[in-house]
Amino acid sequence: MAVEALFEISEPGQSRVKDACKGRAIGIDLGTTNSLVAAVQAGQPVCLRDPATGEAILPSVVHYAADGSVVVGADARDRLAPLYPRDTIASVKRFMGRGPGDVEATRRLTPYRFAPAAAGDPVVRFVVGDGAPAVTPIEVSSEILKVLRARAEQELGGELGGAVITVPAYFDDGQRQATRDAGRLAGLEVLRLINEPTAAALAYGLDKGAEGTFAVFDLGGGTFDVSILKLEGGVFEVKSTGGDSALGGDDFDRAIAHDLLSKLGLPDDAGGDARLARRALDAARAVKEALTTAETAEASLVTGTNGSPHAATVTLARAAMEALVQPVLERCATPVRRALKDAGVEASALSGVILVGGATRMPLVQRFVAGLFGRAPLADIDPDQVVALGAAVQADILAGDGVRDDVLLLDVVPLSLGLETMGGVVEKLVPRNSTIPCGATQTFTTYADKQTGFDLHVVQGEREMVAECRSLARFKLTGIPPMSAGMARLQVTFLVDADGLLHVTAREETTGIETAIQVKPSYGLTDEEVERMLLDSFAHAEDDVKARLLTEQRVEAERIVSAARAAMADSPELLTDADKMAIDAAMAELDRVKVGTDHHAIRAAVEQLDVASKDFAGRRMNRALESGLRGRGVAEVEAKVAETEPKSDLQSRMSGAGHGGHSHSGSSHR
Amino acid sequence: MICWSCERATSAGGDCASCGAIQPPDPKADYFAVFGVNRRYDVDFAELEARYREQSRKLHPDRFAKADPRARRASLQRSVQLNEAWRTLKDPFKRAEYLLALSGVSLTKEVPPALLMETLDLREELAEARAAGDDGRVQAMARAMRARVEAAMHAVASGLASGDLARVAAELVALRYYRRFMDEVALHDDAVAEGAPTAEMRGS
Repeated sequence: MAVEALFEISEPGQSRVKDACKGRAIGIDLGTTNSLVAAVQAGQPVCLRDPATGEAILPSVVHYAADGSVVVGADARDRLAPLYPRDTIASVKRFMGRGPGDVEATRRLTPYRFAPAAAGDPVVRFVVGDGAPAVTPIEVSSEILKVLRARAEQELGGELGGAVITVPAYFDDGQRQATRDAGRLAGLEVLRLINEPTAAALAYGLDKGAEGTFAVFDLGGGTFDVSILKLEGGVFEVKSTGGDSALGGDDFDRAIAHDLLSKLGLPDDAGGDARLARRALDAARAVKEALTTAETAEASLVTGTNGSPHAATVTLARAAMEALVQPVLERCATPVRRALKDAGVEASALSGVILVGGATRMPLVQRFVAGLFGRAPLADIDPDQVVALGAAVQADILAGDGVRDDVLLLDVVPLSLGLETMGGVVEKLVPRNSTIPCGATQTFTTYADKQTGFDLHVVQGEREMVAECRSLARFKLTGIPPMSAGMARLQVTFLVDADGLLHVTAREETTGIETAIQVKPSYGLTDEEVERMLLDSFAHAEDDVKARLLTEQRVEAERIVSAARAAMADSPELLTDADKMAIDAAMAELDRVKVGTDHHAIRAAVEQLDVASKDFAGRRMNRALESGLRGRGVAEVEAKVAETEPKSDLQSRMSGAGHGGHSHSGSSHR
Repeated sequence: MICWSCERATSAGGDCASCGAIQPPDPKADYFAVFGVNRRYDVDFAELEARYREQSRKLHPDRFAKADPRARRASLQRSVQLNEAWRTLKDPFKRAEYLLALSGVSLTKEVPPALLMETLDLREELAEARAAGDDGRVQAMARAMRARVEAAMHAVASGLASGDLARVAAELVALRYYRRFMDEVALHDDAVAEGAPTAEMRGS
């Protein structure tokens, strides 16, 4: 019986939670398009906002500047990506756990440069910056996580008690391991990875007090998941899960972009022009979003070379856009049907369908879901925040703070786990949708006389043949005394612990020879690699400080300039010609130096602008005070001054800029 | 056995009678005992499910995240056992196989030649219908097979009730073949559902 063998495993599943009582645990939704961080505060999960912008959402876009500094977020997406498409990585999640040979990485219409695949290198690498070593998706993701970590530390006050990071339910072990590595590299203690639809159901169920069987339809930027869960008495039992880890809103954008390019008479892969590819994808995204509410929208696209730019527009009706997207969307149908079947549930028996992910905002997607399930999906839910909120709840449970000890998540293995047997056929030991923790034992025998070893090859997937499944690990059991074929009896035990990690033990029964491994998929980083990266990041600590100062000064420069512009627009009558010339000159200088890498120069230019606008600012101050004398309270006058004053206290704003802003410099350990 | 925590005598598969600490599973306990229900085929499913939830809530490793390593290990082992028991007992076919195994009757590897011939023919006919793209014929065959599965499950239930274990064993062997047939129907349904436009997009 399977369980008996499992009893013999010594100390499986060392809990990751044991040291996690130092501080508050957080939940992170590391999304393809956007990422969020949340924590339970006063018994309720809340998303933590960037103190500078008030935004909860951090766009998952990472820019690598030529000097090695890193900018993450809206600034990278909106300002830097169009200028430096090759050096600004968006949707990095689609590359997690992928090898250079994977189709996904070599897709057409991509702005990125991939490093030539070195022999035996299992990881995709992006060439960014100038002559810097290529970065892996794990490193890129860790930059996003570092920003969220800094935000959480600032908002929660100090050291964190670990993090729960969400992953698509349909991520395989390689993709999960890569995500875990990204967390470690960002200095987070990863308590657990949980599945995004499960997290969403947890947050939704607790918030609404929902009971019954629900489907979660999660269509994000790059991944699609569907899960069927039963919610009852605080237990969230995943019945089945399915999906496609390479299907999402990005594929809609790509389909629309192909069409835009064709309509403009351009090659639909942008002919290898990275900027055009980036612009086409951005234009596609913009028109898709506009068509969520409008019936027709214009996509505008700057084409041509740098020398002769040419703006072209294409008008797209919603119906035409939907026709482009429909074939991609259809791919969601099979996983949904399979998940319902695996759960043994009819669509009509569901209590509700929960929508998650930005792509579910599209009317077409909502109609499609309604058709698929025969019911309108639930609308009372924020599809952007719900996953992070659920992750925060699970983090709180694992940190053992006891606020939610009435709640339990029972998740499943998303893909079957098995062993290679004779002829390259897979013998499944743990079928998909088995509730974790779980285990299985199977006995194998030798096929050759005097065979003294077994080669064990652990694979993941639903296909019959090893070649069509993902290889997770290979190991050997050796030292078996020579026997006739079929005499040796090899007992192999799989154990998937509550973290979803697979442990494999093999034991030859007649001799008692035993070997055990914790499966480390070949698509993650090895411990040594992570260690080296961490050491590198210490070695570059000084560079990192410089990089952060630079980013801070750039953020500050942007703010000062926009404040000055606002003040000039607000009260032009107080502006003398001499003032205007001086201020314009100072702003031009600031614009020039802020793209450079010398943070001292930027700071000097900021101060110069400060001096140039001094008289103008003084007049504005006087006027504000005069209006104050006409019956306003002093506090209100001060507020008014602070609001419109271009040269208010630099130092106090700097203190906010360190962790805030859209842009944040992580350590650049490249 | 001796409790790992207070070192007084206790029994496996529960909490320590003296100190209440979680104990490792009892390897001799059958799946019905894990749930604390009577060993029978026609279990009360709602009761079984309620017990599963109740036990999960008590035993799951998340409940022992900060506990002593020995408690964590016991919790992991008990949860693995509980999940395996649930997976077996909630499925009528697996439950019947398990009951038969508990009675000491193992499913014979000798398949009656008539059954083998018949199911081989049926599989061949199914493959032909699929190859011809004749969904109507596939669905008709599936309906007929579903009726046979249902009849066989009835026979299993009454055989288990009356103690006619040889009959049960024979029906379960046949059911394995029927289920394999239905698996292939499911593959067909998936392929039909995916349709042509999907395949086209995959190529891009």
